[in-house]
Amino acid sequence: MTGAFDFAPAIALLPLAAFAVALFGGNYLPKRGALAGITALVGSLVLSIWALVTVAGGETYDADLYTFVAGQDTLSLHLGILIDPLSALMLVIVSLIALLVFVFSLGYMNDEDETGLPRYYAELSLFSFSMLAFVFADNLLMAFMFFELVGLCSYLLIGFWFREAGPSSAAKKAFLVTRFGDYFFLVGTVGIFATFGTGMFAGSESFPHMAEQALAGEHSVRTFLGLGEQAWFTVLGLLVLGGVIGKSAQFPLHTWLPDAMEGPTPVSALIHAATMVAAGVYLVARMYGFYLLSPTALGVIALVGGFTALFAASMALVKQELKQVLAYSTISQYGYMMLALGGGGYVAAVFHLTTHAIFKALLFLGAGSVIIAMHHNENMWDMGGLKDKMPVTYYAFLSGSLALAGIFPFAGFWSKDEVLYETLIHGFGGSPLLLAGYAMGLLAVAFTGFYTFRMVFLTFHGEPRTADAEDPHGVRWNVKLPLAVLGILAAVAGVINLAPVEKVTGIHLTFLHDWLDMAPDSFGTAVHHYTGDHGLMHEFAGYTAAHPLGETGTVLVGAAISLGLALAGAGLAYRLYAVPSPTEHTDKLGSLKTLLMNNYYQDEYQVWLARDVTLPLSRAADTFDQSVIDGVVNATSSVSLFAGERVRRIQTGLVTHYATLITLSLVALLVVFGYLGGWF
Amino acid sequence: MVGVTHYLVLSAAVFAIGVFGILTRRNALLFLMSVELMLNAANINLVAFSLHYGNLSGQVFALFVMALAAAEVAIGLGIILVLDRNFGGIDVTVPTTMRR
Repeated sequence: MTGAFDFAPAIALLPLAAFAVALFGGNYLPKRGALAGITALVGSLVLSIWALVTVAGGETYDADLYTFVAGQDTLSLHLGILIDPLSALMLVIVSLIALLVFVFSLGYMNDEDETGLPRYYAELSLFSFSMLAFVFADNLLMAFMFFELVGLCSYLLIGFWFREAGPSSAAKKAFLVTRFGDYFFLVGTVGIFATFGTGMFAGSESFPHMAEQALAGEHSVRTFLGLGEQAWFTVLGLLVLGGVIGKSAQFPLHTWLPDAMEGPTPVSALIHAATMVAAGVYLVARMYGFYLLSPTALGVIALVGGFTALFAASMALVKQELKQVLAYSTISQYGYMMLALGGGGYVAAVFHLTTHAIFKALLFLGAGSVIIAMHHNENMWDMGGLKDKMPVTYYAFLSGSLALAGIFPFAGFWSKDEVLYETLIHGFGGSPLLLAGYAMGLLAVAFTGFYTFRMVFLTFHGEPRTADAEDPHGVRWNVKLPLAVLGILAAVAGVINLAPVEKVTGIHLTFLHDWLDMAPDSFGTAVHHYTGDHGLMHEFAGYTAAHPLGETGTVLVGAAISLGLALAGAGLAYRLYAVPSPTEHTDKLGSLKTLLMNNYYQDEYQVWLARDVTLPLSRAADTFDQSVIDGVVNATSSVSLFAGERVRRIQTGLVTHYATLITLSLVALLVVFGYLGGWF
Repeated sequence: MVGVTHYLVLSAAVFAIGVFGILTRRNALLFLMSVELMLNAANINLVAFSLHYGNLSGQVFALFVMALAAAEVAIGLGIILVLDRNFGGIDVTVPTTMRR
């Protein structure tokens, strides 16, 4: 009998086919290849939903597709598919967002008469293919391969308008910065293969499971560098985390993401909502069983996440371009997900990943719609008063903004609240480090509320400040449809996991928790295996939950604090910017504003690192190579040359002389042998 | 009584004459003859020791050396013919083109 899983490879292969079609036949197709992509993504979405439904029926799938290195008594490398609740959910998200981005591109690219569209659609299809294959990868090596492909596609798409200086340099920056992180990921992958002999994510032969057994003393593995098992697993986890920090734009490798705004806006939506940036967080969730074994790695994840959430949110406060604000909010929101993962909130992280994918795609597509209307001017100070002229965009954007700011009852409120709640209770349960992460996350909530509504008010409210804002360019159905779909989802997607309501009323509402818990025990990826009473989190990470005000009280107070801070931020934005002719208030921040506008001089710092530290270092290495290493080699050869030049003189060409030399040498040899042999 | 020592002295003398010939003569034919002398000095040694130890192997080897010497003469004469053709004589100090 054929089921959904027999078609699982097609989920990724359909966009690959669309890539080929758009690349080679795009010029001859009616919409320059868009229709091929849309058809393929519809197919992927249908198959993903079918897989989701099948998983809901209690079935999971883990199969090898193709073994490219078959090892005997050693590791073998293969491509395989793992479909469990986590990957099934992610497949649906990715294919849904990608489909909507394709539709939106019809309005953003085709209607604007851009050139190079077949290339655009081909790259977009390849991007979807890479991400979908990354999501259902069943081993670390396959994940790494598609992780890299995703990076390549983002390079191609960010640099889509490669004839201009900005996009091409932004593309290079994105590629190099993420490559820097991926280097650590590669080392970590090799380390995991060397340690466990496998890179499988799930099952009894998987590396998280083997690591767990090793720590429990049931099984021994080979460690390196003379480290104990615990310490070595921490090193491996942190190495892989390097790739995650690069791709998910966490501090200090976040600098590529704001520059990536140079790409077409639909691409930004895809990169920031569902694919590239999500890949990092998804990878941590995928191998969460491994990270739970190392409290140190978890602490690093939580601190990096909490710090990034606050750090990026503070930079978003003063930005003038619409997409820049969204870019920093993306970094900040992924910081929340990392905070949740580090704080033991596996479900919370996946929940926030889901809702963020929806509302951030919505916000970017909304921004795209505004940018079309404003004739590709992105400066918010040139907008204003767009509310009445583009109502669909406005209401959808507002829905996304409310979700981003975490205002009750929009999707973002539920997920962000759960992230903070999980961090808080585990922080009180004996991990004070998490409380620091919690405090940073909480402060970032207020910042988020402020910058989100500053953006909304500047863009849509008040009086139009330029001629373009007076008379915006209209947008068609292909822009409005994705906005409407996502706008509704952003408002209601929170219902999949109403954990606070469940805790207060007792009605069972945590559907996402149940869903992720459905993974079979043999996979070892279910929630109860991670964070249940006897799960890894208690056994190995040492996290326990404590409710200082009782369970209900903690839930309510935590939610009230974060909602209050979000409303306070939004209220401040309302007071300052919801006036007919808003003025810049950022100057009141004084030198802090300069610091924020310059992104804490992170770019300058990295340029300094490259130019004033790395470059002299490489120059010194080059000098060493040219003088010492090459010097030794050249000296050796010159000795031979010189000696040869001298010895050559005895070659007279006269046979008699040669015979003399031979005879004399023979005599000399005899004398030497005789002397050594004691004849004399 | 003629012992093995006498043969060795004879052989050494013949060998020394051969070496002397190679080092001093300029005629290629004399060169070849000197080489023959040296080979046969070695032959005398082989036969002398064969007799001394009552083992026939040395004498068999002497036969082989003679066959080899015949072959060597054939090649040597060929070389001398070419020498004569290319340099107009068989004086070994004339050809020095191997120098470079």
